[in-house]
Amino acid sequence: MPKRRPLRVCRLLERNKDNTYFSGPKHPDLISTMRVILLFTLLFLCHGKPYKPINIMELMKIHDIMQQDNEIDDDDDDDDDDDNDIEDNFITDCPFGCQCFRRVVQCSDLGLTSVPRNIPADTLMIDLQNNDITEIKEDDFKKLSHLYALFLVNNQISKIHPKAFQNMGKLRLLYLSYNLLTQIPENLPKNILELRIHDNRINRIQKDAFKGMQFLHVLEMSANPIANSGIELGAFNDMATLYLRIAEARLTAIPKDLPSSLTELHLDYNKIAKVEVEDFIRYKHLLRLGLAFNQIKFVENGSLAYIPKVREIHLDNNRLKNIPPGLNTLKYLQVVYLHANSITSVGVNDFCPTRSKVKKALYSGISLFANPVKYWQIQPATFRCASGHRALQLGNFRRK
Amino acid sequence: MTSCIFINLKKEKGKLVRKQLFIAAINDRLFGLPRCSFTPSLSGFSGGHLSLQFLQTAQVSDTMRLACLTLLLVSVCWALPFRQNGFLDFTVEEISGDGPTHPTPPEDLPPEVPIGPVCPFRCQCHLRVVQCSDLGMKNVPEDIPSDAHLLDLQNNKITEIRENDFKGLKGLHALILVNNKITIIHAKAFAPLVNLQRLYLSKNMLKDIPSNMPKSVQELRIHENQITKIKKASFTGMVNVIVMELGSNPLTSSGVDADAFKDLKRVSYIRIADTNITTVPKGLPSSLSELHLDGNRITKVSADTLKSLKHLAKLGLSNNEISVVENGTLSMMPHLRELHLDHNALTSVPAGLSDHKYIQVIYLHANKIASVGTEDFCPPSFNTKKAMYSGISLFSNPVPYWEVQPITFRCVFDRSAVQLGNYRKK
Repeated sequence: MPKRRPLRVCRLLERNKDNTYFSGPKHPDLISTMRVILLFTLLFLCHGKPYKPINIMELMKIHDIMQQDNEIDDDDDDDDDDDNDIEDNFITDCPFGCQCFRRVVQCSDLGLTSVPRNIPADTLMIDLQNNDITEIKEDDFKKLSHLYALFLVNNQISKIHPKAFQNMGKLRLLYLSYNLLTQIPENLPKNILELRIHDNRINRIQKDAFKGMQFLHVLEMSANPIANSGIELGAFNDMATLYLRIAEARLTAIPKDLPSSLTELHLDYNKIAKVEVEDFIRYKHLLRLGLAFNQIKFVENGSLAYIPKVREIHLDNNRLKNIPPGLNTLKYLQVVYLHANSITSVGVNDFCPTRSKVKKALYSGISLFANPVKYWQIQPATFRCASGHRALQLGNFRRK
Repeated sequence: MTSCIFINLKKEKGKLVRKQLFIAAINDRLFGLPRCSFTPSLSGFSGGHLSLQFLQTAQVSDTMRLACLTLLLVSVCWALPFRQNGFLDFTVEEISGDGPTHPTPPEDLPPEVPIGPVCPFRCQCHLRVVQCSDLGMKNVPEDIPSDAHLLDLQNNKITEIRENDFKGLKGLHALILVNNKITIIHAKAFAPLVNLQRLYLSKNMLKDIPSNMPKSVQELRIHENQITKIKKASFTGMVNVIVMELGSNPLTSSGVDADAFKDLKRVSYIRIADTNITTVPKGLPSSLSELHLDGNRITKVSADTLKSLKHLAKLGLSNNEISVVENGTLSMMPHLRELHLDHNALTSVPAGLSDHKYIQVIYLHANKIASVGTEDFCPPSFNTKKAMYSGISLFSNPVPYWEVQPITFRCVFDRSAVQLGNYRKK
């Protein structure tokens, strides 16, 4: 860790060391030691700055200062070769063109065709976004056992060596979006918290693809040509995923085998045609459900009863003819988007329970615009359990 | 913290704590292990008041002892645990606990309460990171938590940044808008972001450098847009910028004003690669330690454009059309360590390499170098070069490797540091 330079205040204090005021005539030895200690403490005190989070950029500046110091030393050089070591370290520290601030290696947008060598071994985070890397080789990340986050978004990666992620027990964030992968990479590090593999060419999720990844809480795998038949039985076994998004895929039904721990499920921009009774049996913790931009014609009666905690449902841009049955039983539902459907009528009890006080949270957003139903045909009492006028979007306009 | 100091100021006489302890404490501090753990040992002190007056009257030795102790105690208390808090540290914090990213839903939700933390639909909000990438969004979403530190809006379809999009986001440190379709940024849109340090605008359709960027910005990435000009006023007042990435824009040399970079007093890294500039931009700040200008149309490197760059350590000029590196150019950059001049039109090894003390890596492959002299790289006498070469590349040049005398590379660290033949070492 680089030693921090004392603040300017410290220098002022330092000047006091020759001040006679502090020197005593009786015990010169003791007093001089004390003076030293005092000086040290003062310096030390100046070191202990009030709590202020230090960030990487801050450290970078310090690094610059240190570097300048080196250079100043160099100028009055003669034959001391000691400084060469420092220089050597400096140059091998960071791949050319990348920026390495304390344990973050930033190599994005450099047109790299392969993972650069000499990435410092203690690196916490590597950003390799927006390059032209085609392949992850076995040794590319070797020795990087401290790695916390690896960003490989927007490359041309079609191949990842099965051993490429070995010894990455500390990896928590792995972003592989916008590549050319055709399957979930083998042997993913087990402790990943967030995996983003959006916009690849994955059409199959093999059994055990996520085996042992019990910490994987966020899984974003949209924009892949995944059909329901491509999800093998047991692909999501033993996972405790909370957020899952498989949007812009080729799903025709809500997959039934997803982790039961889900609190957010996003399946927008698929080809789902209906919501069936047993679809949500497993997902009783669901808080947010996104099904916008599908082809849903109806939601079967009773299907929503399996997700009693849900707070937000997006069913806009579908082909619904009716308000989904069972909305009025959802005590915590606050936001429901139903715009851009084919809804022709809205009943007075479609949203709110018949008995008052059953609803635990009032609606804060209901959208019904862009439906055939005329807003004057809807009785005002229909929205008796909404928080106010502004919570509704009824007419044929979008609130802006 | 304040209370800690307050208590210590009350101590008057203490038993003489051994000097070793002081030193141990100091050492601990220097090695980054400071804690307030010394405070319990304070119990042995009796009460009383320390004041400036007292300092002046009592015996000097007593005063000093007291002062020592007090200051030491104060400072020990002051010493705070080192805590890194940067770009992704709020996510790194999670290393310690394996807690879930989202709080698991409580079994019984309290009634009538706006349930759960605010987070735009489909985004994930955890530890002050608002992750909204890849969602096809056409606008910056509403309901961004006001305490957000990092807002990731990458890979969406945002076309415009409106005036109130970032309203109230005072705490935002990093804003990532990479890969959208932004053409317009409202002049006041960034005004609320008084603490923004990183602004990533790469891969959009901006035609100009946005005006009124926060002055707090330390890293600006605006790579791959449609920017043709860098005006004098583009970076006015941006004294905190350290890293600037401006590559892959249709910039021309005439579009880059000479004073454009003047205000960037602390900048250490600039990259202007893959543009149409034909000369090294003028007026680059002297604080630069890295300059990357590869993939441009630079034809000549002249000494005067680089003359202020005393601290430059890495210079990238690959893939240009450079046929001449003016005499004396290298001596303008006395601390240069790495120079990439590969894929150019050089006909000889640039002059001044042998006099340069620190240069260690020089790429000259894929040029038109027809001959290499024995004094081109290394000085005639030993000991004038401070650092040995660790990389020289000369392959893909007309010069046949058997015509390069081995003694040419006498100041090279290791034989493998030289790549001579017509092959690429892989």
